[in-house]
Formats: sequence, structure tokens, C-alpha cells
Amino acid sequence: MKAARERSVRAERRKWALAIHAALIALSAAFLLPLIWMLSTSVKTIEETMKDPPVWLPSEFQWHNYWDALSYNSDKLGYVPFLVYGRNTLLICILVVAGTVISNSIVAYSFARLRWPGRNVAFALTLATMMVPFPVVMVPLFGLFRELDWIGTFRPLWVPAWFGAAFNIFLLRQFFRTIPFELSEAAKLDGCSEWGIFTRVIVPLSKPALAVVALFSFLFTWNDFLGPLIYLLNQDTFTLSLGLQFYQSQHGGTQWHLLMAASTTVIAPVIVVFFFAQRTFIQGISVTGLKG
Amino acid sequence: MTVRRKETLAGLLFAAPWILGFSVFLAYPLAASVYYSFTDYSVLREPVFIGAQNYSDLMRDELFWKTLENTLVFALLALPASLVVSVGIALLLNSRVKGMAFYRTAVYIPSLVPMIALAMIWLWMFNGERGLVNELLGGVGIKAPNWIGDPSWSKPALALIALWGIGNAVVIYLAGLQDVPQSLYESAELDGATPWKKTRFVTLPMISPVIQFNLIMGIIAALQIFAVPYVMFPNGSPARSTYFYTMYLFDNAFRYQKMGYACAMGWILFLLIFALTMIALRATEKRVHYGGV
Amino acid sequence: MRIPGASVLLLAVVAASIGLSEHVVRPKERPGRIVVSYWEKWTGFEGEAMREVVDEFNRSQDRIWVDYLSISAVNTKTLMAAAAGIPPDLAGIWDTDVAPFADANAVLVLDELCSEAGIRQEDYIPVYWDICEYRGQIFALPTTPASTALHWNRRLFREAGLDPDVPPKTLEELFAMGEKITQRGSDGKLKVAGFFPAEPGWWNWGWGYVFGGKLWDGGGNVTANLPENIRAFEWVRSFSEKYGSSDLHTFRSGFGNFSSPQNAFMSEKVAMVLQGVWMANFIERNNPKLDWSAAPFPHPADRPDLANLTFAGLDVLVIPRGAKRPREAFEFVRFVQSQKGMELLCLGQKKHTPLMKVSDEFLRKHPNPHIRLFIDLAKGKNAVSAPQVGIWTEFNSEMTNAFDEVYLMKKTPKEALGHVQARMQPKLERYQQALRQREAAR
Repeated sequence: MKAARERSVRAERRKWALAIHAALIALSAAFLLPLIWMLSTSVKTIEETMKDPPVWLPSEFQWHNYWDALSYNSDKLGYVPFLVYGRNTLLICILVVAGTVISNSIVAYSFARLRWPGRNVAFALTLATMMVPFPVVMVPLFGLFRELDWIGTFRPLWVPAWFGAAFNIFLLRQFFRTIPFELSEAAKLDGCSEWGIFTRVIVPLSKPALAVVALFSFLFTWNDFLGPLIYLLNQDTFTLSLGLQFYQSQHGGTQWHLLMAASTTVIAPVIVVFFFAQRTFIQGISVTGLKG
Repeated sequence: MTVRRKETLAGLLFAAPWILGFSVFLAYPLAASVYYSFTDYSVLREPVFIGAQNYSDLMRDELFWKTLENTLVFALLALPASLVVSVGIALLLNSRVKGMAFYRTAVYIPSLVPMIALAMIWLWMFNGERGLVNELLGGVGIKAPNWIGDPSWSKPALALIALWGIGNAVVIYLAGLQDVPQSLYESAELDGATPWKKTRFVTLPMISPVIQFNLIMGIIAALQIFAVPYVMFPNGSPARSTYFYTMYLFDNAFRYQKMGYACAMGWILFLLIFALTMIALRATEKRVHYGGV
Repeated sequence: MRIPGASVLLLAVVAASIGLSEHVVRPKERPGRIVVSYWEKWTGFEGEAMREVVDEFNRSQDRIWVDYLSISAVNTKTLMAAAAGIPPDLAGIWDTDVAPFADANAVLVLDELCSEAGIRQEDYIPVYWDICEYRGQIFALPTTPASTALHWNRRLFREAGLDPDVPPKTLEELFAMGEKITQRGSDGKLKVAGFFPAEPGWWNWGWGYVFGGKLWDGGGNVTANLPENIRAFEWVRSFSEKYGSSDLHTFRSGFGNFSSPQNAFMSEKVAMVLQGVWMANFIERNNPKLDWSAAPFPHPADRPDLANLTFAGLDVLVIPRGAKRPREAFEFVRFVQSQKGMELLCLGQKKHTPLMKVSDEFLRKHPNPHIRLFIDLAKGKNAVSAPQVGIWTEFNSEMTNAFDEVYLMKKTPKEALGHVQARMQPKLERYQQALRQREAAR
């Protein structure tokens, strides 16, 4: 009797597993299809990209598209210094990620591990600011940066990151609170200052959470469009997300194949980073209590 | 100095970057924005005080209502769908199946694509005559609409694009799902629960705080949609169906030199988001189960 | 306190990044020369044409160096840069930007510099000079002009039994000939269209002018719903009624980009289009075998006085307020305005010049076989340019929207234009009131 039931349970499970497999494959296909198309377009000629019905595999792989897209003064595009854009984006990302990790952990420490009058109200206020849409502050912020003479430079894009952001403060504060207070107590008894506790106890234990903060801010900055659109003026200072616009010609003669080659190049490093950091990433989110 | 005093000092010092940042980059612009909303401020000239004229003009501005409507319709299309689909996908990706790393990466990668590339790819995919989407639908025998050119289908197209990029939400749900104690599932199984029942009575309640969080984040994001339609649909064509609130705000500020007007729009948006967030919190509070880890 | 190696590395990376990022945004310098920053909209071959002129200027003297930068959305960016106090010394914007920029006090008045340099109104084709003048002052000077004409496909004419050398002269003929040429496939879908106004749809604000109407009275009144404008939109609607608006729409969505072999006209899907002087060049690049010709756009049969109407557009140079090197920038502007500089530029962009005088060499070398037609049309009395009113961007947006609504048959012409009128009149009044207030406050 029991054996029969076991068999039916196993059969049930196998059917279920098969269904899940099928669903997963269909899902991946749906999500990856546009990207595969992007890849295939990046190695076609411009005529092939227009073919009706669309072709998947070009007759010849135009690998030189990547060279054309990334090099300066390609005669089809005029001046599109793609590598310059890449360098600019990387610079901004480094500064933003460094600033984000450092400033937000410091501030979160205050909210999570230190007691001071008005702290809870301040924290609630911090959470409330997550609701403030960027457009509300966009205009005065532009005016502020203009007064400081920062428009046209990278400073509006990275300096604010060194002063904390509500979302990251929230994330790290939740995490810091899960570290047992006894550890802080013990360090204090050993004569550690608050800074000492922070650097020697809290930070080493927070690597996954800090990794998540770093990753989120990297991704956001790498793809940021509105910020560079408003604050950057000189073409040589543009970032990748802005730079991709140049593949769109004025009269609508978009160089699809070059645009896709450039886009692939822009996405590639991010994919690589994610693939390797995947487990840390998910673990980190779990551990920061972001989910609750 | 007393211990208490010392801790307060330390607390304020550690929080100093944020206190400074908040004042300079948030509080000041918010206050300035209120002031500007009562002025006629055209960038190169000093702001001229005009009382509540911007607000009364907005109320009578048809484009204001149209863009607001567009934004709310889009949110209504995208949010419920995103919620259901992302939870569903997360559940799927939570099963113990070989090669899960690949599937998870596949789902997450689209959310890494920069806005412009995204917009361009989908502009192509949704092309009425030759786009891939319509080719595939046609292959299954469905006569597909002209997504980009038809005002009734442009917002659904954008909603679909939004769905394609839910990798972020999925990953967050995955983290939440991993924290659901196995013991709960085991006891449910002992009670003879089917997988569906397990999902409904164990999984969903356990991740309800995450769902609530993502819902709030989703509302805040959906109401601010800008980059993708800005690149895909110049001027919110066709027939202004994809002209969203933030796009009109941006145009007023930077193309029509009406920054005071734009600030007024910004404040109305803020109040709207605030109200909707409060409603969402109130409405879901009863169903959120905080027995989590 | 021991400082861990990782922190030192991090600090070093951060410091290096800050250093590099500051270096990147520093303005370029050239030893021994005064640098003039020039932001222009053009990329591709059009950009190359201007770059050649810039190179020529830089070579011809050793005091000034013009730095050419290709900037997307150059008008918005220039305005923002001016607002931020760091505008370029010279900006290449569109004719429709002159009024808003002047109203916003964003550009310098050039009258004095022009009279010093001997730049006079008589040297220019009137319609183009008028674009540069606003409220009696010179705010801009021309770079490349445009005018439009009817382009038709002679092969499709022949196949439909029409004389390939006789284009339609009236709009009624246009409609009838278009009908003859239109073909549908066996599935009922459009295969070839004779003509319809939405393709290419670049002058959708202007159809009213073709019928003798106008959008603004030059003063305080928006005139969007004049009877002539309504008649024009009824004419637009007649195409949607004849061919089916969703059919046209689907047909249109299959067209490729303008500058590609899949362009509607170049891939022979549409037999007649209203297009500009640059068209010859794009045809040469994308489908040189096309058998085509050009003629003045048809007029309504009952309005022969509207014959030879053309839409005149212009790219202009302005010197933003706050430019650090206005005089040096003007040196370059002056070079462009000379017949030599202008012809070099316009030949490179395959357009005609805005100057009254044209050298025989220019006409001879020009790749557009119909170049004289475009020049004559621009000189004619029915050369129409967009209304020079500060709210034009919004106005144009509204008109485009109204056109879409009529062409998609969502509103009647009267409704759509009435709507535009109702929305834009108060906006114009508010705008002009704000202008007066600002003037008073100064």
C-alpha cells in the first residue's frame, strides 16, 4: 500500500519537474530572444537588418561592425568616441560606488547601532524621502549646480553619492541590526571607539550586504540616462547611455547594426559581473532583510 | 562627557553625511521647488512671482490631464501584471532544478540593458509590419496590432517592455523565498497539501512583506516613467498616447523654458505618489503577515 | 591605527578617478590660438561638410581655432548651458529656435557686428533673411537653407499610363493621379501608393498654408482654425477616407528609415512625396537607379495665386549670451557668410545657398539636377517659413497632434483645429503677457 503511494508520489513529482523544466525553458527563451536578436543584428550588414521577413543568421558575420561602432570617426557616423564614453562611465561608476558604500554604511551605523534623540523620527523621515520623485527636485537641483559651476562636469553625478541615499541607508540599517549587540559591547569593553567598532566589527561582518549595495549602485549608475542628459553638455564628457543616442541619425537613418554592436559591448561587462556575483547577490539581499 | 552624550555625539557625527546631504540635495531643492512653483521662471531671467497661476493653469491644461491619465493607465496596466508575473517567475526559479544559475541569469539580464538600447531593440521588435513580436504571433495565427503606430496599443507595448525588465523584482522575491523555513512546507505536506495549496497558504503569506515592498516601489517607479518612452516615442506619438507625466514635466522645464510650471507639476506628482503609497499601505496592511524570520 | 592595504588602494583609486574626471571636463586649449567652441547639430556627411569649412577657416588664419562639436538636441543643450553660465561661443540651431531664444534673452544681437562686417540684407534671399531677423533685430545668421518641392517617380507614372514628364499642377490632379498609381496586393493591403500627406509628414503644420491659410496673424492671435486651414485638413482627411486610415497606417509602419533603401519613396512604394533639396543626394546614396524628377508642389485649382509654394527652412548660427569669445566666434560666422564659405558648406551638404548671388561653378558642380528649381522656389513670393513666435515648439507639437488625429480619423478637421485654437490662444496670450512682465521688470 505504502509502496504504491510512494510510486504515485514520485510519478507526480516527476510530472511536476517536467512541467517546471518546460516552463523554465520557455521563460528563458522569451527573456533571451530580444537579446539574441540584438546579437544577431550586431553582425549583419545594414541591408540585412531591414530584410522582410527578418533573418536570424546573416550570410556573413560582419565582425568588423564592432570595430566600426567603437572606433572614432567612422565615416558612417561621424565623431562617436565610444571608448571615451566608456571611460567616462567607468570613472563615474567608481566614484559613485565608492561613495555609496562608504557613506551609506557610516550613516546606517548611526541609525542601527547608536542611540540619539530624534533618531527614530529621522529614520522615518529618511524612509519618506524615498517617495520624493526626482522631477520635483530636478529644477532647483539644476539651479544649485549651476550656482556651484558644476554643470558640464561630472560632479553632480557622483558627489551626492558621498552623502548617503535613503534606499541604501534603509537596506544597511536593516542588516546592521541583525548583528548581535553583544559583539559591540565586547569591543567597547576592549576600549574600542565607535569608529573602531564600526571598522573592526561591523564592516567585516557585512560583506554580502555591502556587496549588494555596491552592485545596485553600479548597475544604476552604469545605465543612468536622465542624470547625464541634464548635467553633461560637451560631447566628449558623455556617458555610454547618452552616447548610444548618436547611433540614431537626425533624419531617422538609424545604424541598427552598429547600435546593436555598441549596445552589446555596453551590456557585456555587466552580464559578466552578474553571472559571477549571482550567488553573493541573492544571498546578500536575503541577508539585508530587504525582503522584510 | 557622559556616556549618553558621547553616544549622541557619535550618532550625529556618523549621520552627518546624510544630514548634510539631505539638507543640501533634498530639503533645499524641495523648498526651492515650492517657491519656484509660484513663479514664472524661464531659466535665463530671474524668477517673477505670480502667485498660484501655475497651479490654476495646470488645472486648465489639457495636456496635464492627458499625461496624468496616460501615466495612471500605464501604471494600472503594468503594476498588477508585474506583480503576478514576477512572483510567478520567482516561484518557478525557486525550484530545485539543475542549471538554475543559467535560468536566473537569463531572467535577470534584460534588466541590465541600458535604456536606449532597450528602446531601440523594442522599437524594432514591435514594428507593425516586420517586427519579431508580430512575426511570432502571426506564426501562431494571431493577427497582431501595429504596436508602435496604434495609440491603443502603444501603452500595452510599454507594459510588456516593463515586464521584460522585472529581473530586479524577481531577485528580491527569490531572496525572500529562500528564507521561508522548510519546516513549514514539511508540515503542510504532512497535511496533504498540493503544490498549489502550499504556495497559497505557506509561500505567499511568508513573502507578503516583500510583495508589499515591491508594490510600493513599483508605484513610485511607474508614476515616474521617462527614459524608454522618451527615446522610443518622440513627443509621445502616436496621438500623445505615450506622453507621460514626467516627459511633459521635462519638456516644460528644459524645452519650453517654463521651470516654474515644471516645479508645480513636480509637487503635484509628489502629492500623488504620497497619496497612492498611503492607500497601498493601508489596503495591504491587513494581508501582510509579519511572522517572518 | 593600522590602515589596511585595501583602504589605501581604494583611496588611491578614488583620488585618481576624481583627478581624471576633472581633467576630462576641462575646456580644450590650443597654444597660441584663441579657442572658439562651436556646437552643431550635424553628424555624418552633413557634419563633414561643416568640418571642412571649419578646417578651411582654421587653416586660413592663425589667431583663432574653431572647435567643432557634434551635439544631439543642440538647441536644448545650448539653452541649458546658457542657463548654467557656460554656453558655447557659437551654436548651430534651427530656424524655429530663433524666436524662443531671442525671447529668452539667450542670444546676442548681431546688428552691430553685421554692419561692421558689411553683412547686408540685400545679399540674401528674402525669406531666409526674414528668419534671421526678429522684432527688427538680427539674432542669427544662416548656414544651410532648405526649400521643398514635389518629387515624383517617373517609372510608376509610366506604368500607370501617365506621362512621366507631366507632374500634377493642381491638388485635384495630384489626388486623381495618385489614385491611378495606387495598387493593392491580392490580400487587399496597399502595395504602392500614389501620394498621401502623412509621408514623410515633415511639414504637417504647413498644409494650411498650401491652401492660403496661416497659423498666426503676426500679433496676438493664433489663427489655427481659419477656413483655409480647415479645408487643408479636410484634404488630408480625404486620403484617409479614400484609402482607409488603418490601411495607410499599417502601410506606413512598414517603411524603413528615411536614409535607407527602404525609404518609402526610394523603395518605390510611394510615387509622389513633398521633399526638400537634400532628397537628390539621399536618392543617389540609397537607390541611384530611381527614375525621378522634381517640380513645384501643386496648388488648389481655384487658387492659382498659391502656385510655386515652398516650405523654406534654415539652419542658423547664433552666439549665446555669456559666450566668452563672441567677437572671435563672429569671425567664423563671417567666413561662413562669404560666398566662398557658404558655397563650400552648401555644396558639401548638397543644398542650395541662402545668398542671392550664386557662382556658375556652384551650379555646375551641384549634384542635384534640379538645383535651380529649389533656388527659384525659395526666391518666389510663396516661400513659407514657420511662424516666428516664441511658443512655436508647443504649437508645432499641437499641430502635429491635430494632424495625427485627423489622419487617423479620430477627430474631424474642424474639431481638431478648433481644439488647437482653444489651447494655443490662451498660451500665446499668457506667453506674451509674461514677456511684457519681464521687459517691465528689467
